[in-house]
Amino acid sequence: MLLSLFSYTKMNKTVVLKAEGITKRFPETIANDNINLELHKGEIHALLGENGAGKTTFMNMLYGIYMPSEGSIYINGEKVDIKTPFDAINYGIGMVHQHFMLVESLTVLENIILGLKNQGVIINKTKIKKEIKEISERYSLKVNPEQKIWQLSVGEQQKVEIIKVLFRGANILILDEPTAVLRPQETEPLFEIMRKMKQDNKSMFFITHKLDEVMAVSDTISVLRKGKVVRTILKKDTTKEKLAEMMVGRAVLFDFKKEKKETKEKLLDVSNIEVYSDIGLKIIDNASMDVMKGEILGIAGVSGNGQKELVQTIAGLRKTPKGKIVFDNIDITNKSPRFIAESGINYIPADRIGMGLASDLSCIDNAIMRNYYKKPILSKCIINYKKAKSYTDKIVKMFNIAVADISSPIKLLSGGNMQKLLFARELLEKPKLLIASYPTRGLDLASTEFVRLKMLKIREENMSVILISEDLDELLSISDRIAIIYKGQIMGIVDSDTVNKNQIGLMMAGKRFKDIQ
Amino acid sequence: MFYFEKRKKIPKKLQITIPVVSILIGVLFGAVAILIVGINPYTVYKSLFLNAFGNWYAFSETLTAATPLLLISAGLILVFRMGIWNIGAYGQYIMGAIFSSYFAIFMPADIPKPLMLSMMVVGGMVGGMIWAIIPAILKVFWEVNEVISTLLLNYIALFVLKFLMYGSWKNPTSYGFPLSKPFPDSAQMPIIFEHTRISLGFIFAILAIIAIWFIISKTKFGYEAKIIGNNTTTAKYAGINVGKNIIIAMAISGALAGLAGMVQVSGIIHFLQVKINANYGYTSIIVAWISYLNPIVCFFSSIIFGGIASGGYSIQISMRVSYGIVGLIESIALFSLVGAQIFLNYTLRWKK
Amino acid sequence: MNSMHHSAIVILLLSNAVKAGTILLFPTIGEIFTERAGILNLGIEGMMLIGAFSGFMVSYITHNPYLGFMAGVLSGGIASLIHAFISITLRGNQIVSGLALTIFGAGFTTFYGQKWINMNLDVAPQNIQLPLLSKIPFVGTILFNQDIIVYSSYALVAVAWFILYKTTIGMNLRAVGENAKAANAMGINVYKTRYIWTFFGGLMAGAGGAYLTISYAPFWLDGITAGRGWIAIALVIFAMWDPLKAIFGAYLFGSINALQFQLQAQGTTIPSAILNMLPYLVTFIVIVLSSIIVKTKHIQPPKELGVPYSREEK
Repeated sequence: MLLSLFSYTKMNKTVVLKAEGITKRFPETIANDNINLELHKGEIHALLGENGAGKTTFMNMLYGIYMPSEGSIYINGEKVDIKTPFDAINYGIGMVHQHFMLVESLTVLENIILGLKNQGVIINKTKIKKEIKEISERYSLKVNPEQKIWQLSVGEQQKVEIIKVLFRGANILILDEPTAVLRPQETEPLFEIMRKMKQDNKSMFFITHKLDEVMAVSDTISVLRKGKVVRTILKKDTTKEKLAEMMVGRAVLFDFKKEKKETKEKLLDVSNIEVYSDIGLKIIDNASMDVMKGEILGIAGVSGNGQKELVQTIAGLRKTPKGKIVFDNIDITNKSPRFIAESGINYIPADRIGMGLASDLSCIDNAIMRNYYKKPILSKCIINYKKAKSYTDKIVKMFNIAVADISSPIKLLSGGNMQKLLFARELLEKPKLLIASYPTRGLDLASTEFVRLKMLKIREENMSVILISEDLDELLSISDRIAIIYKGQIMGIVDSDTVNKNQIGLMMAGKRFKDIQ
Repeated sequence: MFYFEKRKKIPKKLQITIPVVSILIGVLFGAVAILIVGINPYTVYKSLFLNAFGNWYAFSETLTAATPLLLISAGLILVFRMGIWNIGAYGQYIMGAIFSSYFAIFMPADIPKPLMLSMMVVGGMVGGMIWAIIPAILKVFWEVNEVISTLLLNYIALFVLKFLMYGSWKNPTSYGFPLSKPFPDSAQMPIIFEHTRISLGFIFAILAIIAIWFIISKTKFGYEAKIIGNNTTTAKYAGINVGKNIIIAMAISGALAGLAGMVQVSGIIHFLQVKINANYGYTSIIVAWISYLNPIVCFFSSIIFGGIASGGYSIQISMRVSYGIVGLIESIALFSLVGAQIFLNYTLRWKK
Repeated sequence: MNSMHHSAIVILLLSNAVKAGTILLFPTIGEIFTERAGILNLGIEGMMLIGAFSGFMVSYITHNPYLGFMAGVLSGGIASLIHAFISITLRGNQIVSGLALTIFGAGFTTFYGQKWINMNLDVAPQNIQLPLLSKIPFVGTILFNQDIIVYSSYALVAVAWFILYKTTIGMNLRAVGENAKAANAMGINVYKTRYIWTFFGGLMAGAGGAYLTISYAPFWLDGITAGRGWIAIALVIFAMWDPLKAIFGAYLFGSINALQFQLQAQGTTIPSAILNMLPYLVTFIVIVLSSIIVKTKHIQPPKELGVPYSREEK
């Protein structure tokens, strides 16, 4: 490893950014452990690693959102102290965040100049528009400066993020999982933009966990695992397989073998439903789909296309003014969430802290959220907290949840452990249909595998799962069929054994299944 | 640079230390305020303390003042735990007093006492309940901010009371003073300790706080209240009928504030007038918060704040120290308490 | 002749309505900015009381109403810093802290105002007829024959609107109230921004209170603001966080106030309790109606209103 680092630094290129011995400790974990990295002028440097490998933590330190516990950062050979994002911007560092840092109620133009100190007091729209136009023409980033952010698609919002960074004259760009929010077809144009920026001698850190993308666009690759840099290597000196091995620390990538099933019994039938968002926009548009018994149905789509609202409507958390939802021969359209849960549908929301869990309450209170009103936890309107405690203990043991004290607030747990508790709670209700939104998001590898196996086990037991995921590989490997959603409409439901990623991508962009065959 | 670092565990000890220190800070700033007007704070505080806790009669007056505080804050603990900001105990108290007084003023005086008092209790509770359910319904169905609606209802209640007291409910023989005719004996709550003003209401207050403790820590409703208070989205997700629970909790809270108003007119004042100490409605908010919304702690805080209120009245009369001092001490104690919440979850650290 | 008399009464009434509205206009504009920056300050009533008291006291001592006004403005600002410190630095509950500020203002002014009760001011800001503008029939005599503080409130509304929508200052402050995390990532100092606009809200609450005692009701009484601070908070919702709409709200309530006094002065048969209840009752109805409009039209209050902001642990 030392040797490779040595051979790598020997190349005759200007180092624009250097991290030396960066360590970041959090109260519970060490997120970054002695990281040494160099970024060269006009280079795309990929940071590859699984969730929780420490990529984002490292970038947040470069951008002044965190401060390193140890180590130093050099920019153009000069040691710098980046305390705030403002400092970072001054050093020419710009960050395209995974979760966009955009203010939805402001316009594109306002977002682009937000926080800039050199704009004077009165906003000079004509001048700014001219500058935006220059940037957008140079890098083919088309936006309308007068539109409000909430009116834009995710792809357009990302363009605003990039313009914002360029507008600030950044020479070092950090792109934090920029493809996670894009359709497959949108990634190549993004890479084009990145290559153009490279030609302009801009340097980029490109954070991702997708091997294909790394091979497609980067020059240099650093692999992170458990907070450490495993290796820094030139792209031309490596292969996908080698990178995968470095990333996970073992050669195997799992492949879930599942028996093909021939069940034709319908469990859930959603027909022609329509849902409106909190601000009155139509967000589910005449959508129909069905789920068979013993089937895993995946839902694919760029996030924000209505997948959340679709499953929330099934779970009774949103109302549909038209259409019908039938579950296990019972009409559950617009029934209460309690009624639907009692009928056998359990829902694991994507938003754990905001919806699935009560973060200030104890693990016990959270564990009994689905059965506090039933025997044996409840008798005659009184909750038996002793039984609740032993029930929680049981969950913690069964699912191997790391928790110091089940009476202290659940927010003190790590994200993965929270997710396990949430997953366990819903699973133990023995649902006929489990709706799981991004159940493996933010989990380490072992927990991811655990959760996936559990879902397959449900399937074995002839129960069903609706799985929403942003990871097409996950969807393809686990689900029997995949429904693709675009702008609140179901573009088609396809067999996961016969469909390919490109077809799914086209449907995610609004093509009907019948049009792409 | 100072910065806050998250704790791994919430230190139990701080939950006692913070309220105690907060009250002491309030008292300390109060002393400075008194010093500024050129009075010796020691003599003021000594007199205040003796008038609150110095002898049995003084203490009985403290308990008398603690009664409405305890009744009202019992209800507030429930709604505050749900994250519902009922600031309207002032108005609910007034409405309770008005509704219960109706029976005392307009019903035949020879109705048997138990019947009369029962009607007044029910009337008072219903009055307070109505005044609390209005903002609850507005909140549940139209998201009308309950802080503002309950506050405005406080002023409206006060003017309803004034309207009655200067109008049709005024005693013709009160020489133009805005007083109702005195309550008949049947409408006066029995005193439970001789030579004091501690009425049956004190027993009600103790029962109320025990009931609230039970509801919060044992029942299904209490569990649901906890979830709603943490996050309404989670509550809806868990299948809880949030709107119904909010309305029920507000109804309970309003009923208890209304009962406090009834206890005041029936047990202590014995007629209806404009000044019926409705400010207990605001003080109770402080009492509930200083107690960390814990019913058991609330019992003791009510007595402390009852003492400050009762002692404060005494020094106003005996030493001509403005009653404003009570508001100063209370508000600074509350500032300290809210400001110190952060130390439950964080520790202060220093880093260069 | 008779109609002349009537129009004179109407002009007097409306001219007083503007004065009464000014008392509410200052704090409403201030609170709009505070809330836009994400801080809910329910302590307006308390800050207005403090402003009213210090404005009265300084005017009384110096015989200069303008000095009194400045003192009132400043004292309101200082009082707001308590709330700012608790809710911004210590991330305390803003509702409770705001209520504490109201109780503090009431306690403080009751305690120190004891000696001043029922004293009267013998000075007041003089009306100045603006050239040309005051000659506009009807409107001119109402709007442009006022004192300098009223004129400054007109300027305030215009400047407030301009700052909020046309300048980087306003843009940054809106960003802080909508998405503090994003604002921070763009290099805006969230804490500083929130301190500044909470302080501004305090200055304006102080201005409203001071204008009350030095011009509209030139004497001192406990609780002289009589809930106007709460009406101002309601007006912020009525105005849907827009400074221009705040004018309508403020003058509507100014008119109710003025009408109430006019009727009482004329010896109406309507009981005074009902007349005095009117502003609160109307506010209540207005707040219910505007909440329904806000809900059905999907107008959003500042997204992070009342949410404490903390930069991640570093």
